Amino acid sequence: MAVKREKAERLADEELMPLIGAKDPEAFAVLYDRHGGAAYSLAYRIVGEAGAAEDVTQEAFISLWRSGARYDRTRGSVRSWMLSIVRNRAIDALRAGAGKAPKLDFDDEAVLEQRPAPERTDEQALQRETAGELRGALGGLPGEQAKVIELAYYGGFSQSEIARMLGVPLGTVKGRMRLGLEKIRGELAEGLA
Amino acid sequence: MNGHEHDRWSEDVAAYVLGALEPGQVAELERHAEGCEACRNELRWLQPAVAAIAEAAPRREPPPQLRERLLAEVRAGARAAGVEAEPEGGLAAARHRFGTWLRGGGPGTRWRPAAAALAVVVVLVAGFVGYEVGNDGGGGGGATWTGAHGAVTAEVVSSGGGAELNLAHVEALPPDRVLEAWVQREGEVEPVKALFVPDRDGNASTTIADMHGVEIVMVTREPAGGTMKPTGEPIVQVPIQS
Repeated sequence: MAVKREKAERLADEELMPLIGAKDPEAFAVLYDRHGGAAYSLAYRIVGEAGAAEDVTQEAFISLWRSGARYDRTRGSVRSWMLSIVRNRAIDALRAGAGKAPKLDFDDEAVLEQRPAPERTDEQALQRETAGELRGALGGLPGEQAKVIELAYYGGFSQSEIARMLGVPLGTVKGRMRLGLEKIRGELAEGLA
Repeated sequence: MNGHEHDRWSEDVAAYVLGALEPGQVAELERHAEGCEACRNELRWLQPAVAAIAEAAPRREPPPQLRERLLAEVRAGARAAGVEAEPEGGLAAARHRFGTWLRGGGPGTRWRPAAAALAVVVVLVAGFVGYEVGNDGGGGGGATWTGAHGAVTAEVVSSGGGAELNLAHVEALPPDRVLEAWVQREGEVEPVKALFVPDRDGNASTTIADMHGVEIVMVTREPAGGTMKPTGEPIVQVPIQS
């Protein structure tokens, strides 16, 4: 028997998950209403197009519906778990749209110009990330730290790929990622203090 | 656990939580972290920073129809889950009714299974097309069969004892309708408790848990929540070659 909407709305996310695992549609609807906006926003930020963002969000929530029982509260909040599913599916969609994993022959402009459009995802991503659209948690970081974090999280590039794209040593990329995350984490901790 | 090994992996913890570690290194780091409390603590410490990055995406409102589609599929799934509790007599009776329906007792198209001995078969019955496009040949992969009707194409890919059913070019459904999958065994048709809806691009997929003895897979449009008996003609059928 499904719970009533009013009751489901009073439950914490972690309490909704067992109900979703038992295929309760009202619990699912409440969870979507709480986190659907953030999920869609993240998907849009990664794939950069409304239709694809819609598909990613739909797939992610259906995945949650089908596997809700697998949620492990010791590994974080439901919202962060949900957003990690969205992020992974969005990166998959980004790569599928490119037809393959991002390519990295960046230093050869002529080769880039000759490539079919779908293969230029990495170049376009680099341009997008370097356009200075930094917000929220990333807004307070030095540009080079924000750039490697955005390329990694929103662009789906590995640290080695980022090093090649930016023409810097791998150790530099590792260091910038680390410093950037530490700074964000420190500000979160200060906000809680 | 020695300090040198921790130092080596500690450099990669940030890339790991950002999803930027090389694929081959992910499992290695996870194995290391199982036995390294310092790395586990670092992972726990950095996770909220990654959550904050996810939240930093500029806010956009999802279209209302996305919620409608999701809830239609979820409610259909919930109804299907409830069907599982039905007494066996109910399903047996339903199988009998579907057999009658397929043999011409209802509005559906008349058709029969394709010959199993053919490696590649084309079946043309009442406008439906089905053909086998590949099988594992002992190579370990799953067999694939396809079918088409009008613009709708269907692909059944065997996996273990079940199969994935993938449709393309399916017209959008109103909120009160879903797709329902059925299988025929020994001339009798039964529901497979698989209700699903197409996405924005007309693609739809579901899973058939048990493909043993299946001769034909078909899909109909049904009221939200599904039915125990098809209420309309199949939108596509896929003959299965054993």
